[in-house]
Amino acid sequence: SNQSSEHNHEVSPLTRKPVPELSLRSLIDMGFTDTQAEQMFESVSSVRGGGAAKHTLSTLTVLFMLGLNPTNVQKLLDKCPELLTVGETQLQQRISNLRKHGLGEGSLQRMVAYYPKILTVPVKTVKYVVAFLKERCLFTTQQVTDILRSSPAVVLEDLDQLEYKFQYAYFRMGIKQAEMVKFRLFRFTLDEVRCRHCFLERRGLYQTPDKKGQTIIKNPKMDSILNVDLDAFLTHVAQATAEEYGVFQKLLSREWQEEELQQGKIEAD
Amino acid sequence: EKWAATRAKLPPTRLALQHFDATYGVQLGPLWPSVRVAMLSERKYGALLNNFSYDAVQADLQAQGCRDFISNRVEEEEEAQPHLEQKSEVEAQESSNDVSMKMFDGQQMNLSPNIKCLVFPRGDVTRFKSARPDTHGLLSYYLMDAASVLPCLALDVQEGHSVLDLCAAPGGKTLSLLQTQTIRFLCVNDMSVSRTRRLRKVLHSYVPKQFLTDENLRVTSFDGTKWGEIETNTFDRVLVDAPCTTDRHSLMEDDNNIFNKIRVGERRRLPQLQLDLLLAGIQAACPGGEILYSTCTLSQNQNQGVVEQAVCLARENHGIHLQAVSLRPLIRMFRNTFHFAPDLHLGEMVIPHLAANFGPIYMCKLKRLS
Ligand SMILES: C[S@@+](CC[C@H](N)C(=O)[O-])C[C@H]1O[C@@H](n2cnc3c(N)ncnc32)[C@H](O)[C@@H]1O
Repeated sequence: SNQSSEHNHEVSPLTRKPVPELSLRSLIDMGFTDTQAEQMFESVSSVRGGGAAKHTLSTLTVLFMLGLNPTNVQKLLDKCPELLTVGETQLQQRISNLRKHGLGEGSLQRMVAYYPKILTVPVKTVKYVVAFLKERCLFTTQQVTDILRSSPAVVLEDLDQLEYKFQYAYFRMGIKQAEMVKFRLFRFTLDEVRCRHCFLERRGLYQTPDKKGQTIIKNPKMDSILNVDLDAFLTHVAQATAEEYGVFQKLLSREWQEEELQQGKIEAD
Repeated sequence: EKWAATRAKLPPTRLALQHFDATYGVQLGPLWPSVRVAMLSERKYGALLNNFSYDAVQADLQAQGCRDFISNRVEEEEEAQPHLEQKSEVEAQESSNDVSMKMFDGQQMNLSPNIKCLVFPRGDVTRFKSARPDTHGLLSYYLMDAASVLPCLALDVQEGHSVLDLCAAPGGKTLSLLQTQTIRFLCVNDMSVSRTRRLRKVLHSYVPKQFLTDENLRVTSFDGTKWGEIETNTFDRVLVDAPCTTDRHSLMEDDNNIFNKIRVGERRRLPQLQLDLLLAGIQAACPGGEILYSTCTLSQNQNQGVVEQAVCLARENHGIHLQAVSLRPLIRMFRNTFHFAPDLHLGEMVIPHLAANFGPIYMCKLKRLS
């Protein structure tokens, strides 16, 4: 390993002179165990371009300041090593922006531990998605906070997809904003939502409410459709076999593909 | 006014769905959701092999993963619990007492070895490509609902028979019957002139000219209900594949949809038309001959209801006695390919299911005793 690092030094001047502060010692001093420190050291050098090293200590400091312990930090960096390439100032800005959107210490800490990628997202992007949720989907400020807290990945979703998903739930399924938040609609992909819903709809077990919000049959709650595993969904809600659902998924994805193709053709004409 | 506007907006496919929810929800009970989702999703086809074609496509198709469902049937030896059959025979007799019909069961079922229909396995949603003409310009297979082959098998055409196909266009069942190559004379009829034209085209794309001579085939465009005035006591076998609410089509296509508001009258008259056609078919059969009534609807009124009335009226008005022939042996053989409705008191019915998305096809076989 010594040899190969010698070799690396020649190719990449950046790693030849590692930033003075980052050393095994400094990591151990921060509270990492020996093994953790070694692993950390290794992963830092493996991040592309080696640019990570110069931010490492400050990044770690910021994360510790969020109240995360060395084990949490290690885990989340395993999940999201890119975080080490983010500069301290940017990191601070992103965190304070999230605070501004209502995420208090506890939830911020949980969010970063669960979805560290959130800190790789530029402030501008988050603001944009927040504005989108408020203006296009008419969520309240509090609801947006709840969405960010429970489904932070929403900030990286394609906005067209996001809008479609919202409209699908709102218009096709007749679900209001409060329910979408409560039952964490944005944790599910559009395909998951559509597939389970269409399956129920074609079985005659789900109806789009009319203008007055009325249906002839009683629709199952969104919670029992989405927040359950497939088995529970099939036995308790759809009353169908896994075989039927498996075939249905295949047929539906082909239907969608063909619809998109058709759409593309119409637009090209 | 607003009410009228919203009502007019409902397309025929939606009206059909509402109608089916109301009637089939009751008729099929807990089975309905599973049938409903199947009918609202892409159907499956079967490829009826054309024995007249010079292209040997079977191996090709098999390489793609499909198989002939007729030769891959459940063998008799695999049949479990033969005593159950007897029970069903008794029950069938009792429940059909009102029209004094007796059902045969366990009788020998002859299947033509020449009819072959390939399907992709259960749950496999691969589509067939359309067939291409061989060097003689004949197509090697015909794509149709695989369940539509069952009425043709059930008709049990034998060497030297004369056969009437009363409502034949566009001709899928006619082609299946021709595959048996045992028919002495086939009479093919459909009231619609344009559809008869299509039928002729189908015949010419699949069958060599020497089999389509006046001696062995006649194509006509008569009103089938009038057949009793044309020709009675003639045919060994009669297929009455009646016009119906074509449930799948009505759910999926707004064009040419019988649930269109302007066709309400036509739709209401269907059971009467079906009855008249079946009665005409019964009269056209010779004593001892067999009649097969089939539709592609789930509707009891258009299926069992029509057959029951026809049996009554044939006796009362024409002194013709009929016996319902059990198709149990047939459906037992093919239960690995199709889903059948349980416990029909008269006839059998393929019900759609996502994993085997064929049908609906209703069929009932009658034997003319006098
Ligand atoms: C279910 S389709 C027949 C399908 C055909 N057996 C096949 O397998 O391709 C019913 C046919 O009945 C025809 N028809 C309707 N009324 C009729 C009548 N009064 N006499 C004869 N045919 C009629 C229609 O034109 C239609 O082609």
